[in-house]
Amino acid sequence: MSYITGPDVVKYACTCGLLKPIPQLYFCKHCLQIRCRFCVCHEVDSIFCGKCSENIPSAEARVKKNRCANCFICPSCQQELSTRIASKGPANPDDAKSPIKKTYYLSCYFCRWSSRDVGIPDQPSATGGWPERENVHINRLQEVLDTYKQIMHSEKQQKESDKRKQRGKFVSYTDKTGVTASALRKRIGLPDIPHAMLKKPKPPEPAVAKAEVDELPESIFTEPIKLMEVTTIEQRLMQPECQPLTVDKLFPVHKQLSIKQSLRCRTCEHNVSKPEYNPNSVKFKIQLLAYCYIPEVRFVTVEPLRAGQTVELIIKFTNPTQYQTTITILDLDLDEQAQYVEEQKLIDLTQNLEQALSLQEKQPMSLPSLPYSSGSQPSSLLSLPRLPSVIVKPRKIFTETNCDVAIPESSFILPPRDDAAEYDDSSEVHNFEDDPKLIKWRKSNKAFVKLAVTPRADLKLGDEVVCGFTMQHIYTNVLPPAVENKQPQKYDHKVRVFLTLGKVVGSE
Amino acid sequence: MMSKISRTMELQDINYNKLDYVETASGNKVCRQTVLCGSQNIILQGKVIVQAEAIIRGDLANVKTGRYCIISKEAVLRPPYKKFSKGVAFFPLSIGDHVFIGERTLINAAQIGNYVHIGKNCVIGRRCILRDCCVIEDNTILAPETVVPPFSRYGGAPGVPVGDLPECQPDLMIDYTRSYYQHFQPTKLI
Repeated sequence: MSYITGPDVVKYACTCGLLKPIPQLYFCKHCLQIRCRFCVCHEVDSIFCGKCSENIPSAEARVKKNRCANCFICPSCQQELSTRIASKGPANPDDAKSPIKKTYYLSCYFCRWSSRDVGIPDQPSATGGWPERENVHINRLQEVLDTYKQIMHSEKQQKESDKRKQRGKFVSYTDKTGVTASALRKRIGLPDIPHAMLKKPKPPEPAVAKAEVDELPESIFTEPIKLMEVTTIEQRLMQPECQPLTVDKLFPVHKQLSIKQSLRCRTCEHNVSKPEYNPNSVKFKIQLLAYCYIPEVRFVTVEPLRAGQTVELIIKFTNPTQYQTTITILDLDLDEQAQYVEEQKLIDLTQNLEQALSLQEKQPMSLPSLPYSSGSQPSSLLSLPRLPSVIVKPRKIFTETNCDVAIPESSFILPPRDDAAEYDDSSEVHNFEDDPKLIKWRKSNKAFVKLAVTPRADLKLGDEVVCGFTMQHIYTNVLPPAVENKQPQKYDHKVRVFLTLGKVVGSE
Repeated sequence: MMSKISRTMELQDINYNKLDYVETASGNKVCRQTVLCGSQNIILQGKVIVQAEAIIRGDLANVKTGRYCIISKEAVLRPPYKKFSKGVAFFPLSIGDHVFIGERTLINAAQIGNYVHIGKNCVIGRRCILRDCCVIEDNTILAPETVVPPFSRYGGAPGVPVGDLPECQPDLMIDYTRSYYQHFQPTKLI
């Protein structure tokens, strides 16, 4: 529960060295590594409006500037606007049967702002046709935008032509003879026109700085300011294109769209989280969350902490998977982790070096003999449509602990999760040979474990006590990595867990 | 009570006086010191806890809760109304499974999805729609007809989105409401 409301007492170390509570972590089944939001690739999966819960295709969203066409928010208090009906009485008062004419206007139920306040006429249909305000600078903006698009395009062209020259795959006759299109043009007396795409884009008319500004109107100095009529900074920034100064110029704002994200492991490029398309659905197509694969550690209770005194800490382990697991508590050993990080770095370096060397060897060979080979790019990368992302390297954990944990000698077994156990109160038979010094109590897939912790003797009153240990659990991989062996594979997976126990209440 | 939960993480037993509560066959635990108007219009799906001095206005329209809902002390559940040219009409209030409603909170919503956590001292305005998996922080005032999308966290007055929720929020809520129900035990007489 504290995940929803309170401070995070138990934190797990991500591969990138950061400490996060377990709901914020992912577990990549393919790399068997913990990932956090910082070490995954974020991709926009679908775009939807949070109010009308409608999916909007990305092309349409781009055209609409990522705003919903039908939903509005209040320009005054940023809450959602509701459409209200105003009936205008029968169109023909003499004829009792004539239908009542209905008109619609927008109204905010929170601050009572309404579209009538700013003189927007009521609409005959509920769904829209609300007048859009023209942006006075639209032409200038479009001009600048077009220029930048052109620059982007020409730069792209330039890059591509550079690449073509470097590769030298296609040797044209003009290159050999020195007769280029422009040389030919000169020879026959035509003016030299560069290629349309290679043309330097025409810069738009530059903005002109002005020193003279219109004098402030007299009324500013003479009339008292009516603060109720002046807009706030938030209200102005909501409509950046016109930035209304007074409240009578506020216009309803289209609601900003929301997105659903899919997350991808940066190392193996597999999805760790992929939501369903329906905006209202809370289900996932792929959901490799640490919460579903790694045993959860919960803080239950601890005796009052005194510096240098050994106290009993009780924590709860929960096995979220469908497979039995064995948990061993090991020393935190941050040095080992640091060493591992160093090793990884070394491996990386050597790999890079080898790659660079092999490239150098390959390149002169591949050019004459295999002109159509993919050259320097490995084929695995070519098959991917996207550029390979930056791979997250494991990093050192910098968190300090100031409390020693007595490492228990034995390990313990956690049975698999059983959803039916909830309805079955009768039989709680376990045939596990538990060490009574370690296991306090167990129920279905949970176990309460006793640990002896000793806050360091040099801690002062009121210091926060942090302890940590390495939890080794058996992870059963259900992915079929190779078709021939159908047996689920078991791995020993280690994760470092940190607990914030509370403050020192006294010393020995 | 909330601060206690966040400090210890694992829930402590919440004891109640056995004489104060009625337990139904489906596991609902309803306090006797509550105001349940129009009880024929109130459906509690099972394993629902209604605590002392809560008010459920079944006389206005149907009120339906899912399984494992916790309605805390002094919470008010009141079906929403809509004004028409010929008067007002009340609409049913439906609440999904695994929903927590904090103390002294007023619910006027049309629909509350599954796995929703509403803090204490909130006002959920008229005809709001709370989709699955959202969290309303303590002391939030939601304006009428607000739609809260899934996996969002709302807070403040007026309530605005203040953050996102992790993907495992449904599991967290299931775990929380279940363990709340398990820890909600009568005081043992010795």
